[in-house]
Amino acid sequence: MPPKRASQISPNASVPPIPKAPSSATSSSSSKSSSAPTQTAQTAQTVLFDLWQRYLNTTPQRVKLIDVFMAFLVVVGGLQFVYCVLVGNYPFNAFLAGFGATVGQFVLTASLRIQTNPENKREFGSVSHERAFADFVLGSLILHFFCVNFIN
Amino acid sequence: MRWFVSLLLITLLGLVQGLSSTGSRLLVVIEESSEKAQYSTFWDDLEGKSNNCRGYKLTFESPKNDKLSLFQHGERAFDHILLLPPKSKGTSFYTITGDVDLPSSGLGPALTPKLLLQFINQNGNILLTLSSDSPTPTSISSLLLELDIHLPPDRDSLVVDHFNYDTASASEKHDVLLLPQGSRIRSDVRNYFGGDGTIAFPRAVAQELGNSSPLLAPILRAKSTAYSYNPKDEAEVVEDPFAVGEQISLVSSMQARNSARFTVFGSAEALENKWFDRKVKSVDGRDSKTANREFAKQITAWTFMEVGVLKVGRVEHHLSSITGDAPGNDSVAQLGYLNPTIYRVKNDVTFNIEISEYSYDQLTPLKVDASDALQLEFTMLSPYHRLDLVSISQTPNSTVFSRTFKLPDQHGIFSFRVNHKRPFLTNVDVKREVTVRHFAHDEWPRSWEISAGWVWIAGVWITIAGWVAFVGIWLWSEPAYEQSKGKKMQ
Repeated sequence: MPPKRASQISPNASVPPIPKAPSSATSSSSSKSSSAPTQTAQTAQTVLFDLWQRYLNTTPQRVKLIDVFMAFLVVVGGLQFVYCVLVGNYPFNAFLAGFGATVGQFVLTASLRIQTNPENKREFGSVSHERAFADFVLGSLILHFFCVNFIN
Repeated sequence: MRWFVSLLLITLLGLVQGLSSTGSRLLVVIEESSEKAQYSTFWDDLEGKSNNCRGYKLTFESPKNDKLSLFQHGERAFDHILLLPPKSKGTSFYTITGDVDLPSSGLGPALTPKLLLQFINQNGNILLTLSSDSPTPTSISSLLLELDIHLPPDRDSLVVDHFNYDTASASEKHDVLLLPQGSRIRSDVRNYFGGDGTIAFPRAVAQELGNSSPLLAPILRAKSTAYSYNPKDEAEVVEDPFAVGEQISLVSSMQARNSARFTVFGSAEALENKWFDRKVKSVDGRDSKTANREFAKQITAWTFMEVGVLKVGRVEHHLSSITGDAPGNDSVAQLGYLNPTIYRVKNDVTFNIEISEYSYDQLTPLKVDASDALQLEFTMLSPYHRLDLVSISQTPNSTVFSRTFKLPDQHGIFSFRVNHKRPFLTNVDVKREVTVRHFAHDEWPRSWEISAGWVWIAGVWITIAGWVAFVGIWLWSEPAYEQSKGKKMQ
């Protein structure tokens, strides 16, 4: 019932106000919307930039090195996986070895990062950095040995 | 004991010098010795007195003889049996006491169906002749029934043909059939009973072959106008005849799984002297001489293993690659690579088999019809390959069939098998078992031989190189870290 009334009323009542209100609203909203995202984007950019700056300033050199290496591993592993998807997995052992090497290396490097990051000192205080690095080297050597043998 | 057996075998070999490939001791079961004279030409042909070669040693025995036995010391006493129909009117001369299963009317205690089947099981061959003049004993009917060969239920039935009869001798009764010598029953089946002559078939007993048995094959069929009826039947019109037309088999063969042969010959009278070289006149007035003598020779030759006997000679297999630089099998044998017990999956292997066919008095090279094929199976439970063997060479006595193929990608215990079973030819079932192993560790192609894997090989080495670089930089960058550590310590 109420919508019917409204429809009956609307032609009798002022015709101009109805289009006016929406037009003003749209214009204002469009101007606002155009400004608001830029503001948020700017804030996001600044947040990201701040984050990046903070990372550069506070992260120790070795942790940065680890992060670079891990990014490198992700790229290498990703490329191998894409190649497998595109070309097929024919020497499957080669794919497993190649992809597994990057994944395994990534995992080992991540554990090294956890153990040597100064922020985790409370949890890993008993493990010296030298000890963690030695574990990492030994684990990596075993991984490489397996991968190279598996690829035949 | 061993030397005695071999000595016995040598003496037996000396005795067995007939034409048949299995033996020459032939038992002829004939009830009245006075009837012997009627078949004298047939006996002469079998003994080979006239044309000096067949050389069967005939033993005539009456079924009444108590001392007759098909077996002696558990072995066959004869190689072949020729059964002539008993003249007695189906009466029970011998009531076998004790054995309830045996029919009362038979050929006597030595020739019960059970013993005849045992004879076949021991590789003996039987030629059974029937005659409508003398009713077939029930024991014979039941024996035939066991082999899926059916005889007319009324014992006096004979085959008549109002279009193909001898006008000279059976102008009234039309019961002497004139038939051309056998044609092949199927285009791919060997015909051992062919010829241009006309066969006279007086007063024949019709046989009907069951559909289910693959061991049965008709040798001579009646013409499409023939039918079987009982002359004792008073009715003017024959209603519901036992068999008509080409359904009627006048001569049928059964070759058992052990290749022993059993032939049913519909008319014993056709083997008598008077039908061997007789002038007959067909309905359209053509005079001709009967070819019964030749046909009888063909039938007995086939039944008693003179023709259609296959013999397997050398069976060899080897790696095909060996023959590349050393041609021929002999060189393979010299190299010591013949018939190895083990192969690898995907090996190229050559299989050779030498087969001869015994034909009357010599071994001849086997010829396989173009529409047929000798096949080789490479089988483990079921065949992984079934391939046609190709004849590659012939010796005066044999054909060498060969085939080269790639072994399947499946390891296990396989066998090369040649399973050749054809009508009128003895069965060949040759098996040679070999082991097929999988690839050994060092038989796979190396990684770099497969170009598709180069990316992943590169991936592994790049990872390793990156790791080495990382370790180097890590160790080199230690002082900087010490400083930060030191700061924190402070």
